[in-house]
Amino acid sequence: MNAAEASLVSATGGLPPAPEFVAAARRAGRDAFERSGLPGTRQEDWRFTSLAPLAAHAFGHGDPAVPVLAGDLERVAGKPFGARLVFVNGRFRGELSTAHGMPTGVHASSLAHAISATPGLVESRLGRTAMVDGRPFAALNAAFLGDGAFVHVGADARGGVVELVFATASTDGPVACHPRVLVVADPGGDATLVETYVALGDHPVLTNAVTEVSLGAGARLDHYQVQDQPANAFHFATLTVEQGTDARLSTHSTALGAALSRSDVLARLVGEGAEVHVAGLYMADGKRLVDNHSVIEHVVPRGTSREIFKGILDGAARGVFAGRIRVMAGASKADAHQHNSNLLLSRDAVVDALPQLEIYTDDVKAGHGGTVGELDREALFYLRSRGIPAPAARGLLIYAFAREMVDRVAVPALRDRLGQQVAARLAGGGAILEAE
Amino acid sequence: MSQPSNGALLEVRDLRARIDAKEILKGLDLVVKPGEVHAIMGPNGSGKSTFAGVLAGRDRAEVTGGSATLDGKDLLAMSPETRAVAGLFLGFQYPVEIPGVGNLYFLRTALNAQRKARGEEELDAVDFLGLAREKMKLVEMDPAFMNRGVNEGFSGGEKKRNEVLQMAVLEPRLSILDEIDSGLDIDALRQVARGVEALRSPERSILLVTHYQRLLEYIVPDQIHVMAAGRIVRTGGRELALELEKKGYAWVDS
Repeated sequence: MNAAEASLVSATGGLPPAPEFVAAARRAGRDAFERSGLPGTRQEDWRFTSLAPLAAHAFGHGDPAVPVLAGDLERVAGKPFGARLVFVNGRFRGELSTAHGMPTGVHASSLAHAISATPGLVESRLGRTAMVDGRPFAALNAAFLGDGAFVHVGADARGGVVELVFATASTDGPVACHPRVLVVADPGGDATLVETYVALGDHPVLTNAVTEVSLGAGARLDHYQVQDQPANAFHFATLTVEQGTDARLSTHSTALGAALSRSDVLARLVGEGAEVHVAGLYMADGKRLVDNHSVIEHVVPRGTSREIFKGILDGAARGVFAGRIRVMAGASKADAHQHNSNLLLSRDAVVDALPQLEIYTDDVKAGHGGTVGELDREALFYLRSRGIPAPAARGLLIYAFAREMVDRVAVPALRDRLGQQVAARLAGGGAILEAE
Repeated sequence: MSQPSNGALLEVRDLRARIDAKEILKGLDLVVKPGEVHAIMGPNGSGKSTFAGVLAGRDRAEVTGGSATLDGKDLLAMSPETRAVAGLFLGFQYPVEIPGVGNLYFLRTALNAQRKARGEEELDAVDFLGLAREKMKLVEMDPAFMNRGVNEGFSGGEKKRNEVLQMAVLEPRLSILDEIDSGLDIDALRQVARGVEALRSPERSILLVTHYQRLLEYIVPDQIHVMAAGRIVRTGGRELALELEKKGYAWVDS
């Protein structure tokens, strides 16, 4: 391991004691990470995303008890729109959280609490889909297992929103944290989960989150991730999903900030008739990099997958979209579609789009499409010819491109917040939503 | 062509422009006074649409010589948005579809951008809605179209009606309507023409760019200019349009 890798795992020594199944998972994670180290650009999945910038920082383990004012948290994470669990440097913070509005049938708590309260339930699911071999960031996350969120969607849950806010707070220097989210939905349960990732403090932070979702037969989860990290942050997110018969997952990610942001979605449709919708919006400017990787596996018949990612890249930013849809031999009557479109706002902005279909059966409907384009000059002229100044006209057109993704958000309060966050990143953006 | 330029709203002198290496406008002169309606007619490729675009600031063509002023101010030195603020409006031959930008929101943003640039107070949502409703009635526009994206999924006629609605709301001093009649059936043409006629006033001028004289049965111009090969080659009254109708454009190429 090099110095950066060593610094990342060194803090595991200070973890609180845990039951044997957690300790074993930590050891397995640490061993796997020590074997693999950080991925390099020679690895296919990382060839566009160099982790060299990480080497410039020695990431410490942030103080989980660091004082955080509710107002400071709301400034970066917005106001709660229902039940909200807040985690600072990976640890649950009850005094910043509110259980008010917790949906009927949904139990959300800190993972640490669930490990001690319902160890059997946690043990049966934890680490089941987030394999550590060959996934250095999932391994690193496992090495730090202990806290994060546990969301149990009971069979009687009929919708409603739970929000998880993960704030990485740096006070003395660069900080890394590795939160884990475990979602278990019983057959027929239905809920919405929102994960928001932010940072407090001026030092570079590294967030390495892993979310594991396990949906029972007929369960339904609407899942959102909002990454709104500062421009010097490093953000890694892994989402692993296992879906039972007729289960439906809709996951929607928005990557707004960070110097380097990488998302991996790994969804397996292991129950007949399962359906997964993966949507993502990513925006980057300056020299930032945003990378979205996904693998959707159809394992059994009658699975449906829909994937749509949209990117907006300005300055010398780089975007990566690599979406693989794999339809296994037994997955007849699979219906898979993938789309990725990108708006490049400058000559120096780059996107690498890699749609990949791997199909091992004949009885399948699958397709993919994508575009890479600039702002429509005639549309820009049209707006300007009506008196709208060029920067505002550009902002309107960029927002119009992003809007499809914002409009997909089914939680009104989140949709409004996201719309404002997107608009705020555009020239003249403050005014874009004012009259809507 | 020489005309007195005193009191001209639009004055174009020896205007030359090219697209890539091809010269499209080859020394064009035109004077439009306040309250006048002029029509420019000409065959395809004569440079009519390029001329309209150059006046509004479309950067597809490069101006290589001559001048164009609005109220004595140099139009060619202004950005497209500044020209709009100065009172110029281009009705597009092919209005652009912009999904994701609401039609009503677009219109209010445009009006308020112009008002703000002129130092006038911006209209709030309620006042604007009142104004927009009144103008929609004027151009016989179905209010259902206002909540769609700009021109999104509009038929040809609806797009042209939307152009006239924008013109009615923005109240430009000079409206250049580029083939506002193209692609319209006779009923749509009548409605669009009625909308344009309603905006005629002693202060406002209109420049109609058209291939066919049909439009001029509904909007009767003060002057008709015939354009060929990047220049205005004939100027006259209503009789010129009828003569064109009878003899075709080959007649002016001589």
